[in-house]
Amino acid sequence: MSHTTKGLVLIADAESSIRDFLHFYLKRAGYQVLQAGDGHDVLIEMAKVQPDLVLADLSLPGIRGDHLCKIIKKNPDTRDMYIILMTPTNDMLDNETTIEALNIGADDTIIKPLRGQELIARVDSAFRIIRMQKEIKQHNRELTVYRENVQRDIELAARLQLSLLPEAGAVGPYRYTHIYKPVGGIGGDIYAISPLPYGGVGVLIADVSGHGVTASLISTMVKTSFENHIRTRGGPLIWAQCMNRDLARNTLEEQYATAFIAQLDPMTSTISYVCAGHEPAIYIADGQSGEPRHPAILNNASSPLGMDENMSFSERTTPFAPGDRLILYTDGLVEAESNSNTILSSEGLLRFCSEMPSELEDAAALIFDQTQLFIDPNKFTDDVTLVVIDHL
Amino acid sequence: MLNIQTKQEGNASVLSVKGKINFEVTAQLRGAIKDLIAAQQPNLLVINLEGTSFIDSSGLGLLVAARSSADKNGSRLHICCISPQVKKVFDQTNLTNYFSIFATEQDALRV
Repeated sequence: MSHTTKGLVLIADAESSIRDFLHFYLKRAGYQVLQAGDGHDVLIEMAKVQPDLVLADLSLPGIRGDHLCKIIKKNPDTRDMYIILMTPTNDMLDNETTIEALNIGADDTIIKPLRGQELIARVDSAFRIIRMQKEIKQHNRELTVYRENVQRDIELAARLQLSLLPEAGAVGPYRYTHIYKPVGGIGGDIYAISPLPYGGVGVLIADVSGHGVTASLISTMVKTSFENHIRTRGGPLIWAQCMNRDLARNTLEEQYATAFIAQLDPMTSTISYVCAGHEPAIYIADGQSGEPRHPAILNNASSPLGMDENMSFSERTTPFAPGDRLILYTDGLVEAESNSNTILSSEGLLRFCSEMPSELEDAAALIFDQTQLFIDPNKFTDDVTLVVIDHL
Repeated sequence: MLNIQTKQEGNASVLSVKGKINFEVTAQLRGAIKDLIAAQQPNLLVINLEGTSFIDSSGLGLLVAARSSADKNGSRLHICCISPQVKKVFDQTNLTNYFSIFATEQDALRV
């Protein structure tokens, strides 16, 4: 649309007197005007400059007005152009043609003989719609760019978050693997497994309240806090207290993390742990045998991290000997819901764990596949992290 | 969407929640609690969870923030009528003793 006029109108009519009449009124009303005497001329003019509005006679020679309308509306480059068809009289036959013209995409019709005031009122009204459409299109373009930028950022963050997870492998006498399925690219689940400078291995699995970017940022804080505190001696109880303080001081209301924090000690064949509001871990004595076993729950129900600086925690120590298996997970796994609105629950998970393959990766796949089968055709609605650790 | 009903009992406000409390509905519940406190400024807010079969981490965070906010304002937050499933979540997160939890709404209002 020109900046110096209210917009560009192309008049298409075989009669030069009508074109001049329209030209006069439109120009006086502040519009820039082009003229065409037949349908072919309209297409020629439109190839040079695209008008905002075409005011075409229904019985235009060369290409009739309704056919012209079809051509314009079929072309993706011109389909948003506003078209007003001028119909010669208001008899029944032309009325049907007018309805058909509107059906194939004409935006409005005006009946001849034309009256100057009505013409301008119709064109002004059309331009209000044209301006609104242009604004909507501009907003859509801006939204598309914004959405693409956000999507790109989330994809980058997801790649970064994935790189923070330990690669499946071994540390000391422990082998471990994981399955990590965030909902929506990034999530609030995190886990870490690190050799301790004074012997043994520190293990963390955590789930931050909420989803998305905020949860993902806090999960990184949780991991950093864990890695800072395990450098000093003390064990899971001290680590949990320190991590709780870090989180309580650095997060907002309603933001907290549940976590299972453990120290694996190969010298004493034990695991010491704090279950900070998290799903209990599953311990399977001789779990790598490939034979049916009785899985046990490791839980001591402490508070989540970051809710309140004064929350208390407790630590427990149990055996974790060569041949044993440990399974850690986040609530997205056990709160997965079947089609009949039944959640898997930790009891359901225990059933899957009672007879597991001896291979670590096969064990993780079995749990995940069985859970997917349980909820099918539903999908996971929360981030899912599953970690299996074998004491070799 | 949660079904949330509110009523006044003297200086106490009761907010009854029906439905699953998860991430999708925490904004609705947060808004209802804030509106009720702003309108009534109750000495005691009772949250009745009789119709709530599930609460996730977002819902727990919201309740903890509500309790913390009540502490700061010199008012009290009581929770009542929790289902066995919700109790399990409170137990697992060691929050059963953090909150004042009552078996019935009458008990929650009386204390």
